[in-house]
Amino acid sequence: MLIEQSAYSNRWRQVSPAAKGIFSLCGMVAAFAAASPGTALLVALIMTAASISGAGIPLLRYLRVAAPALFFLLASGLSLLISLDLGASTLGVSLHPAEPELLRIARVCCRSLACLAALLFLTLTTPLPDIISLLRRCKLPDTLLDLMTLCYRTLFVLSEAIHETITAQSARLGYATFAISLRSMGGLVGNLIVQVWQRSQALHLAALARNSDGALRFLENPHDNTSRNIFLAAASGSLVVALALILP
Amino acid sequence: MHIMEGFLPVKHAIGWSVASAPFVAYGLYSINRRIKENPEQRMLLGVAAAFTFVLSALKMPSVTGSCSHPTGTGLGAILFGPAAMAPIGMVVLLFQAILLAHGGLTTLGANIFSMAIVGPFAATAIYRLAKAMKLSFGISVFLAASLADLLTYVTTSAQLALAFPDPAGGFAASFAKFAAVFAVTQIPLAISEGLLTVVVFNALARFNPQELKEMNVVTVREVQV
Repeated sequence: MLIEQSAYSNRWRQVSPAAKGIFSLCGMVAAFAAASPGTALLVALIMTAASISGAGIPLLRYLRVAAPALFFLLASGLSLLISLDLGASTLGVSLHPAEPELLRIARVCCRSLACLAALLFLTLTTPLPDIISLLRRCKLPDTLLDLMTLCYRTLFVLSEAIHETITAQSARLGYATFAISLRSMGGLVGNLIVQVWQRSQALHLAALARNSDGALRFLENPHDNTSRNIFLAAASGSLVVALALILP
Repeated sequence: MHIMEGFLPVKHAIGWSVASAPFVAYGLYSINRRIKENPEQRMLLGVAAAFTFVLSALKMPSVTGSCSHPTGTGLGAILFGPAAMAPIGMVVLLFQAILLAHGGLTTLGANIFSMAIVGPFAATAIYRLAKAMKLSFGISVFLAASLADLLTYVTTSAQLALAFPDPAGGFAASFAKFAAVFAVTQIPLAISEGLLTVVVFNALARFNPQELKEMNVVTVREVQV
């Protein structure tokens, strides 16, 4: 996962997740506050610049991470462009909506782009365990946080199991035709379900052996200059929001 | 079938989050109750979330030849119950946004509603209805998984149509437009996922009858009949 790699290796890895969360949140607020597509694009540019030149994410990796989402945005934007008139005597399909409608579509797409840049800023600079500890501080229910912690810790184990099974199945022509693929994948998922049960039983026993009393708690990573960074993030984030509000 | 980050207007984003909140809260309440009775359920549901996440990243063979990703809502609802699927789905959708930039934080509420609430509840209702009608296990599972997939995509189309009604034809035209665009990928996906879910239970009954018995979800006899 490219995002994971960047989250652990960027320049702002040690900056407090609260600071990065606040800046990202301000980016999203600014995206929604932007009145024109141009302003939303400016917000997107600021958030992208913060990720690339601030946190030192390589441009190529940034584009590779954003590419699927950008393709999805393009498809969504194009579907908004098509206009259907069901009430007309002949079914009216037009591809060229009126100008105010075009402006509205441009605003939606640019807002989406700015929000995506704000989301990528947070995810490319902050590892998931840091985000979970941030959510813990936001007083999310313990059960939900436990689900997240367990999910994060086992998803790589299960991904590895899937990868190995698919390699073994492919080596035996397990994905040669549609019918064989379906049978192989059924076996793979069935096997995975059994693993889910067995691994969760093993985890439960391991936790009991360590006197587990329920909730899963882990030590948090220490972060540098937390209050200074939070102040800086809040100040620069507010500036982005103010810019989005002031510009037409 | 995720709605992209920032795509929904702010009122809709908040509205769908408010609509999803009680289901997630009830799901958490039911999970807490399950954990109190059986403490090992804590680990099981956590690993189940990871299972749903990796399942959604699998490339599934599709009847039209193209590749799609399964949603796992039908399978998850039968294995872990529909109420638990709301918080599990929330975790999975959050992880997809954070780890894969798929979906988003502002559209999390809307995506939870279609994929973690409508899908699993529909799957359970259809599965129970099919069993009450004395349909065979295979057909019940196929109907539950594929119709849950279809209902998920119909919900997403309705969410988008509500947010972006067509200037000429209003909500109905916009809904028809989004539904038609998604149908190209979603109908073959729903059929594939229905077939896959049946094959999964057959594989379990054939190769892991003991484990299937221990899971206490469905019996081997049910699958084989």
